[in-house]
Amino acid sequence: MSRLPTRTDAATPFSRRGFLVASGAAGVAFGFSQLLASIDPAVPGSVPAPATAPQFEPTIWFGIDAAGIVTVNIIRAEMGQHVGTALARILADELEADWDKVRIVHVDSDPKWGLMVTGGSWSVWQTFPVFSQAGAAGRIALIEAGAKLLGTTPANCTAKGGAVHAGGRSISYGDIAKSGTVARQFTPDELKALPIKPVKDRRLIGRETHSLDIDAKTNGTATYGIDAKLPNMVYSRPKLPPTRNGSKVVSVDDAAANMVKGYLRYLVLDDPSETVPGWVMVIATSYYAALKATDLLNVTWSAGPGADMSEQTLQDHARALVAKADGGVQLDIADDDSTPAFTAAAASTIEQIYTTATVLHFQLEPVNALAFEKDGVFEIHTGNQWQSLILPTLAKALGVPETKIVLRSYLLGGGFGRRLNGDYIVPAALAAKALGRPVKMVLTREDDVRFDSVRSPSVQRLRMQFDGSGQIQAMEHHACAGWPTQVIAGPTLLAKTKKGGQYDPFAIAGADHWYDVGHQKVRAIANDLANATFRPGWLRSVGPGWTNWALESFIDEAAHHTKTDPVAFRLKLLTGKGRNVGSAPNAVGGALRQAEVVRRVAAQAGWGSKLPADTGLGVATSFGQERDMPTWVACAAQVHVDRKTGIVRVEKLTLVVDAGTIVDPDGALAQVQGAALWGLSMALHEGTEFAAGEVQDTNLNTYTPLRIADVPEIDISFVDSDNVPVGLGEPATTVVGPAIGNAIYAATGARLRHIPITPAAVLSALKAG
Amino acid sequence: MTSFTINGRTVTTDVDDDTPLLWVIRDHIGLTGTKFGCGIGMCGACTVHVGGRATRSCITPLASVEGAAVTTIEGLDPASNHPLQQAWRALQVPQCGYCQSGQIMQAAAMLQDFPAPSDDEIDTVMTGNLCRCMTYVRIRAAIKQAAAAMGPVKQEPGA
Amino acid sequence: MLKRVLLGVVGVIVLGMIAFGVFAWRPAIAEVAPPAPGSFAPALVARGEVLASAGYCASCHTAKGGKPLAGGYAMATQFGTIYSTNITPDPETGIGTWSEPAFRRAMHEGVSRNGAHLFPAFPYDHFTKLTDGDVAALYAYLMTRAPVRQDASDNTVPFPLNIRALQAGWKLLFFTPGRFRAEPAQSAAWNRGAYLAEGVSHCAACHTPRGMLGAEIKDRPYAGAPIDGWIAPPLDKTNPSPVPWTQAELLAYLGTGISRYHGTAAGPMGAVPRGLSHLPAADIAAIATYFASRNGSDTAGATDDAAIAKALVADKIGTGLSYDPAARLYASACASCHYNGRQLNPLRPDLALNSAVNLDDPTNLIRVILYGVSAQDGAPGVVMPGFAHGFTNADVARVCAYLRATRTSKPAWADLESKVATIRAQGQGQ
Ligand code: FES
Ligand code: FES
Repeated sequence: MSRLPTRTDAATPFSRRGFLVASGAAGVAFGFSQLLASIDPAVPGSVPAPATAPQFEPTIWFGIDAAGIVTVNIIRAEMGQHVGTALARILADELEADWDKVRIVHVDSDPKWGLMVTGGSWSVWQTFPVFSQAGAAGRIALIEAGAKLLGTTPANCTAKGGAVHAGGRSISYGDIAKSGTVARQFTPDELKALPIKPVKDRRLIGRETHSLDIDAKTNGTATYGIDAKLPNMVYSRPKLPPTRNGSKVVSVDDAAANMVKGYLRYLVLDDPSETVPGWVMVIATSYYAALKATDLLNVTWSAGPGADMSEQTLQDHARALVAKADGGVQLDIADDDSTPAFTAAAASTIEQIYTTATVLHFQLEPVNALAFEKDGVFEIHTGNQWQSLILPTLAKALGVPETKIVLRSYLLGGGFGRRLNGDYIVPAALAAKALGRPVKMVLTREDDVRFDSVRSPSVQRLRMQFDGSGQIQAMEHHACAGWPTQVIAGPTLLAKTKKGGQYDPFAIAGADHWYDVGHQKVRAIANDLANATFRPGWLRSVGPGWTNWALESFIDEAAHHTKTDPVAFRLKLLTGKGRNVGSAPNAVGGALRQAEVVRRVAAQAGWGSKLPADTGLGVATSFGQERDMPTWVACAAQVHVDRKTGIVRVEKLTLVVDAGTIVDPDGALAQVQGAALWGLSMALHEGTEFAAGEVQDTNLNTYTPLRIADVPEIDISFVDSDNVPVGLGEPATTVVGPAIGNAIYAATGARLRHIPITPAAVLSALKAG
Repeated sequence: MTSFTINGRTVTTDVDDDTPLLWVIRDHIGLTGTKFGCGIGMCGACTVHVGGRATRSCITPLASVEGAAVTTIEGLDPASNHPLQQAWRALQVPQCGYCQSGQIMQAAAMLQDFPAPSDDEIDTVMTGNLCRCMTYVRIRAAIKQAAAAMGPVKQEPGA
Repeated sequence: MLKRVLLGVVGVIVLGMIAFGVFAWRPAIAEVAPPAPGSFAPALVARGEVLASAGYCASCHTAKGGKPLAGGYAMATQFGTIYSTNITPDPETGIGTWSEPAFRRAMHEGVSRNGAHLFPAFPYDHFTKLTDGDVAALYAYLMTRAPVRQDASDNTVPFPLNIRALQAGWKLLFFTPGRFRAEPAQSAAWNRGAYLAEGVSHCAACHTPRGMLGAEIKDRPYAGAPIDGWIAPPLDKTNPSPVPWTQAELLAYLGTGISRYHGTAAGPMGAVPRGLSHLPAADIAAIATYFASRNGSDTAGATDDAAIAKALVADKIGTGLSYDPAARLYASACASCHYNGRQLNPLRPDLALNSAVNLDDPTNLIRVILYGVSAQDGAPGVVMPGFAHGFTNADVARVCAYLRATRTSKPAWADLESKVATIRAQGQGQ
């Protein structure tokens, strides 16, 4: 499947231009956007120190100034994963830089960076080879120049701690850069051939470090999009239409809004990109005035499609679609043709329906953007995860070429996939264009939720057929949900099957699992009603958030159906044979590595030991988002079920993760902690419903994500590995829910097939069981 | 006209007195360490101290703080070296960091009442502060580490 | 015959009206040139300042955002809105031309300088108890304030209630003029407290229920009453607080605006501790002594340990994992402040013991949740935010019902959601 951007996409400019290593001559100054518009999360206010022209800028990815300061350019968004630190350490390790002299800068959008996207847990995986080679090339060039300056040959020199050493003498990188003598060019092929350090020589990768963005986040000086300011700016809050798509403004009455001190005017947006149809922007001299005036503005709309949509209708539609034999797209799964498809002759068959509710991103910083036009260039100040996706849309909305738009990077007060969709930038930019002055738009929490690209509700049908000896002969997985990639990114990013079928890879990933199940069929079905009603979003791990809930619950049911222990059952299916053997470089080891994390988590959690009454241990596993880039995770949840109230209390979560090489151990742990608790939150505490075309819960009075008092004991461990580093931000979210569901079954015999799991649902399952 | 002190400095503003303190602090005074999360008093991102007590500034009208002493994250410690801030850095608590000003301000108020808080006490007092990145495990640990660093403090009467 | 009877009846009515007219009529007292501020002894002015504070003159005679004592504060009564008058010494619009006897007559008899009867919104039924010396001190204080030119706002009391002479009838029915008389059986402190509470501080004006015509019901003193959209709790033996209002508790509450075992002074009560704060400590203690005697706590010797222990346990409820939406709402929105240590925290009201949670009427609890408590009121310098914007009526009702159920053993409140709606519609008030 071709759903991953290839690593060379990310490195396109780099391979196309060759790797120029030239002396830092005058005129190599940073471009417009970089000078004006970058953030350094390590300094108060996040504004980087004025750039001293780099003396040595061998590649777009880093430069070294006369003082030896290495500035690494990061194109990924910082949203809590300390990504800049992890990536800079990859480069600094190969460069043999002195870590104390390394700075990071999160750069602004510029075509030279290539694809700018932060998501899919791709950042480390994608950047690792690029930054390793950039660092290695820099090191080689510095050694060559250093050798000359020291009057010796490169062979006599070593690089370490930001200096080139020969015998007892040494010269620092700063001094080499200052000398202006570095000149060396690498062809793309040479670059690719550069040897990466052996693991034992790594000095930074895998070692504990202090992330560069941490300190400013403890004293109020870190600067997020919502903190952006410009002279002469006005504030804005939108008045949101009743439907996400197709609303039209019929009339506006601002008589009452006019009474608000500071209210300036309203704007009915004309949006050629159709991103925010029916939006009315309220403009005021302060944000609070905009808040009040928006409440008082009277707008009538003609609503677009889905104005009367309910969760029930959406899900009934999905149920009908998964029940039908045709429709949707069947994925290319390499079947073991020796086994028959579903036949009437099978010894037994099981089939179940699993559902998940609508989930909000609820990133803590509501979406916002500050936009203005100067000399024909639109400058946008905001936090965003996918600059390359929104730029064309902005160009269409504003009627200017993409080169006339610069997105300036800010810290993100949470991403979780919400800010992959840059739709919130469009209204601010349109308002700035209309007014001819800087407009800062901030959504209230309620606005943010109503405008959210929620995780679609889903319906899945799973079937499995066994022969007389309990061997699985065939399995089907039909999944129906809104398709985020189709709706937000358009058809070009959809995956294609050999037969030409197009589907959203993000909406089905996870169903194409690593278990040996004989004849396997996976069908992805778009819920067209969902697609028309709202903009389905990518939410932390996307599809596996529902596919793995169904898959791992169903595998558990299959284990019990065959009277096999659920751990033993999984291990039996994770043979690492056939299509599940794995492939270099990312998926080396295949399903055997998944088997290993399952084995370890069982041991770590005390699988099989005796537990008190109504207490149970459940297990679930996942390979993350992509078969091409598997992160192997297993989770064991220990829960207690109160049979009277139906309340499930999670006592302990145990997780084992194999993500290949761990670049930043503490950061990796933080990511898994966060992801696992997200999984818990979505399993027990979150979830909303559509009613009359909109989500019902728009703030924390009724939307109830996990809080500190809900946090159980957590035990997380990583498999020591030299393998290719893969993603960490998401995989753990998808194993906690099914582990809890399976634990409830172990504790009480009650089977839950919908998340979030509510006490009422537990009570009725108890009755049914 | 409303007057109060913020981080020890006296300010007088002629902003409408129903304006939430949060927006006065962020937009009029220009201190942006205090964050806007929910606007209804249920996430804690906007927590400041008023009279030494943790207070949700998003639902505190300006008129309410006439004459009061307000402290924000910027004023918690002159060198950003409050024991909680030290512990927060040492344990690398923040992920996106957006909630952390509020978390630290809430925890600072709590430590006055519970110099050596138990998990239960932390849960009770800190449950009002949402962390969407779910840094809760580290928040607990950092509060305990800070409490230990502060040593046995003489308890306020009744606390 | 019929004609004679009719004539007789009319005659009686006419005579009655004449008699009433004679009875109701009060002469104007001649205007005087405003006395020079320097003509008052500084000690007298200082004493007047303390009394003016303890009588909250400025609270009622200052409009929101207005100049002190210049009037215009709106009081919503069951008979219409009455605006307080300008009592600065401005000769045109204030009381600058009032002689001391004119001022004394207003205080003791409720009659304006020009002879018009005052509405009993002005609590002359309490001020009548003041000694001439205290009245003189108040006069000295007011006449030495900066004059403010500010015309009175028009009251909205409808005809015929707005006929001033009719106020004389009200007085005939409900008003007993006369100075305070000490109870010889009681201590000096008790009597001092009674003098202040009954007189200048006019506590009963809020805490005693009023009848149809707006007069305090004399045989239900301090039984609790609605006031300005709040409930002034009973100060007699019927007070529902789990911990008795002892002299020490009353003293703490009146002296600081907060009591560890009862709550903070909010709403109309917010001004009271501020007002009393200028009195000598012994005077506040005296008021506390007086009310401790009225509510019986001085003789009960009741131990409150059980109630406090119960409260400490109850406060743990709602924390930790819970799916009950009300408990979760409480834990997320309220518990970050309303928590206890191993003892009750003196600065944040414990909700199990709090008056507002224990009263028969949820009004005060709803009001505090909706509109909070400012730094000026309650515990000084500390704020309770207001949830009016963020919480729906259902949310507020849920929290109220949850507290009532988990923190008290009292019957559930009825119709909470519609009560919240009503109070929200009334708005925060001044
Ligand atoms: S923004 Fe104030 S509590 Fe959420
Ligand atoms: S660190 Fe992101 S919300 Fe707490």
